[in-house]
Amino acid sequence: MQGIRPTMRAFGKAWLDVTEAQIIEALLAFIDRGEATEAAFEEMALAVFAYQFAHNQPYRRFAIQRGRTTLTVRNWRDIPAVPITAFKDLTLSCTPPEQVERVFMTSGTTQGGVRGKSYHPTLAVWDRSMLVNFRQRFMQGRDRIAMGILFPDEEAMPNSSLAHYLSLAKRECGSADSEGFIGPDGLDLGRLIAGLERAETSGEPFALLGASYSFVHLLDALAAAGRRFALPEGSRILDTGGFKGQSREMGADAFYDALSAALGVPRRACINMYGMTELSTQFYDDGNAFCPPVKSGPHWIRSRVVDPVTGRDVPEGTTGVLAHHDLAHFNCVSAILTEDAGIMVDAGFKLLGRVDGADSKGCSLAVAEFLKAARG
Amino acid sequence: MVEFAGHLPGLAAAEVEWRMLDFAAWGESVQVSVPVLSEAQALALAARVRENARSYLKTLSVAQIVVTIDKAVARLLDRDDPLRQKLEAILPIVTGYDRETVRLGLSGYLRTFRAPQLQRFLTEDFANPGMLDAFQPAIKGGFTRAYGPELLLHIWAGNVPGLPLWSMISGLLVKAGTIGKVASGEPLLAGWFAQILAEIDPKLGECLAIVWWKGGDEASERIWLGEADTIVAYGGNDALAAIRNRVPITARFLPHGHKIGFGLVSGAVLDTRNAGPLARLVAHDVMRYEQQGCYSPQMLFVERGGKVSPREFAALVSGELASFARTHPRRALSVAEAAGVAAWRSAEEMRAFDETGRAVLGDAGDPWSVVCVEAAEGLAPSGLNRTLKIVAVDSLDAVVPLVASHRAFLQSVAVAAAPEELFRVAALLGEAGVTRICACGRMTAPEAGWHNDGRFNLLDLVTITEIEQSAELAAEGFAPYVD
Repeated sequence: MQGIRPTMRAFGKAWLDVTEAQIIEALLAFIDRGEATEAAFEEMALAVFAYQFAHNQPYRRFAIQRGRTTLTVRNWRDIPAVPITAFKDLTLSCTPPEQVERVFMTSGTTQGGVRGKSYHPTLAVWDRSMLVNFRQRFMQGRDRIAMGILFPDEEAMPNSSLAHYLSLAKRECGSADSEGFIGPDGLDLGRLIAGLERAETSGEPFALLGASYSFVHLLDALAAAGRRFALPEGSRILDTGGFKGQSREMGADAFYDALSAALGVPRRACINMYGMTELSTQFYDDGNAFCPPVKSGPHWIRSRVVDPVTGRDVPEGTTGVLAHHDLAHFNCVSAILTEDAGIMVDAGFKLLGRVDGADSKGCSLAVAEFLKAARG
Repeated sequence: MVEFAGHLPGLAAAEVEWRMLDFAAWGESVQVSVPVLSEAQALALAARVRENARSYLKTLSVAQIVVTIDKAVARLLDRDDPLRQKLEAILPIVTGYDRETVRLGLSGYLRTFRAPQLQRFLTEDFANPGMLDAFQPAIKGGFTRAYGPELLLHIWAGNVPGLPLWSMISGLLVKAGTIGKVASGEPLLAGWFAQILAEIDPKLGECLAIVWWKGGDEASERIWLGEADTIVAYGGNDALAAIRNRVPITARFLPHGHKIGFGLVSGAVLDTRNAGPLARLVAHDVMRYEQQGCYSPQMLFVERGGKVSPREFAALVSGELASFARTHPRRALSVAEAAGVAAWRSAEEMRAFDETGRAVLGDAGDPWSVVCVEAAEGLAPSGLNRTLKIVAVDSLDAVVPLVASHRAFLQSVAVAAAPEELFRVAALLGEAGVTRICACGRMTAPEAGWHNDGRFNLLDLVTITEIEQSAELAAEGFAPYVD
């Protein structure tokens, strides 16, 4: 960081000379520093913005259209947030996309099969971001834990950021007997029940991690089989991503009550991870004893709640749309406008569901219904 | 401030459970109490309305019913009437539409329900409206008479003020015992109109009820659907499909789904004299009711070759929308609506980066958005709430293939063209499924007697009883005066 700081504020154009290697080095150091003041975050955010403004042409055009350039932006909150739909329409990458190590793609369930793409020239920053945060928020001091993964592995889904996330968790934080339970034919219930039985008798804490909808499938399968487990003290659950039409919808309270009853893991040890393909950093809550819980992230990501039309912060305590600023997502864009409603609270934010499908209040046809009809 | 919605003949307020709906807009708030009826109360009310309609409403002549409706409408048109004043004060808070939009919209709409317009409405569907009162000679021989439903259930949706009156008045004209289910978005006007009718003719007031249940509440819906012989329902296709699944097979179901409106502007009319006023009319259609109506325009196709180009016309429309933003401010948007507007606009912005022929006008923070596209583009919804896409086309005929695949969603189209072109294009649009063609500036104000969604709104409600010629001739043989 030292080597590049002098040019940062006053000479936006000088950032054309900053190399990807320098940015990566600065970010890894920033993640490792443990905490960051508002000023330190802002300094890094402006540096990353200048880098993206210089090297990501579609983002540069977007920023200029919004009247935000390296010359006018003085505050990290002024860095223009790109709506996540842009990841579908535009190639948002500082590095030529054909040269990147990995492309993560959205599932394409929301917009007629069009998938949003995030390009990663290296996974070094993504992985560091994930692990530092995961160890703190999920591992909570443990070095390793026996894991059961309810999601296909990275080989099966190379473009899934969640598959990578869970593979990384298993590799770096799982004990030797950790295993995945979703194969080409879906949930391997027999093997999972055997795994849960082993965990139950071992007395060692067990962690079950996966997509929220996979847990619904598991709950239904256990109910059908008439099985319940009481996993040892210290066991925990991580679910993420909602139901996405892949399973029946469940209310949050019903979902965590059912998990708790079926697996013997208290709701306070059921942690929901909120992540997105369009980010390189995840948010966590501290358990779901009460819903909706407060979500928060580490010092290299900050969130705002904005009016989506003006892009400005809404008054505190007002519902708006979440915008995240993730320094670790350095190669695409760091500032994104989500389609999630949220409200800022003291220690983070509360997630209040998606806001993409507004129906008209009258009898005019709105986009959501139109798309549905178009898809048939 | 607490207002009560509904009209429940035979039920005292104290007997009924009420639920409170909260509304706030323009710095004011109002609470509306809506009735929640038990199954027994609902069944009793249905029976009562059906019986009262049989013993009273069906004995009135259509002319008498027209007089009563006319008197009620006259009260709502009278700006000194206390109820009218209450409507003007409260509907903006409930719906969020600005005061002027509510005031002008109400007057313009109610005017289409005065006695002369109601008579026009009747003759649109019945060559001889007398067939609603008595058997009338038929041209083919014999006699025919039209009977309305015994119990007609309206399931209303949305918050465009006054829309429920349309189907409610249709039902009364065919002498149907009437149950109206108001929408949570605007629960007041239908009940108040029923109360005025009851003040003018208390016995007629006993022939209709205005109720409420939470949209999608299957248990309540089933009770009412089981009682009605005809159901008119408004809403999105998912909601309508859910209702249809619960309608008894013996009942008649008349759905009105969501629709998308658009406009056509011929290049020949776009000279410097016409363009400005026309842009104002287009902007008016977009502004009125924030594009929430099925008749509201969401796209405008403008033909190239005029003295004013489509791009220049888009700039004029933008200017008019900016001016309406001051005189008729956009209503406060919910987070979901704001996200819808932002998503639509930013998607257009993104595409504009890669295409030279696409321009997004105005700032992201403006309370309106216009996008101008040079390449032909198929009909699609805008972000609503004053967002419009203007598509340049080489000829108006080129529009038809751009809209034809959305036949099920077509209804109103505004056309600005010379007479010959109007009729030529109208034929093509009609073939594509468009059911209403009007002038720019009139999209949100259908004329009296229009055929909503291209249907016969009165005829669809009735059944015809025929005395065939054979019965008439045979009867002659049984007459006491037979030779």
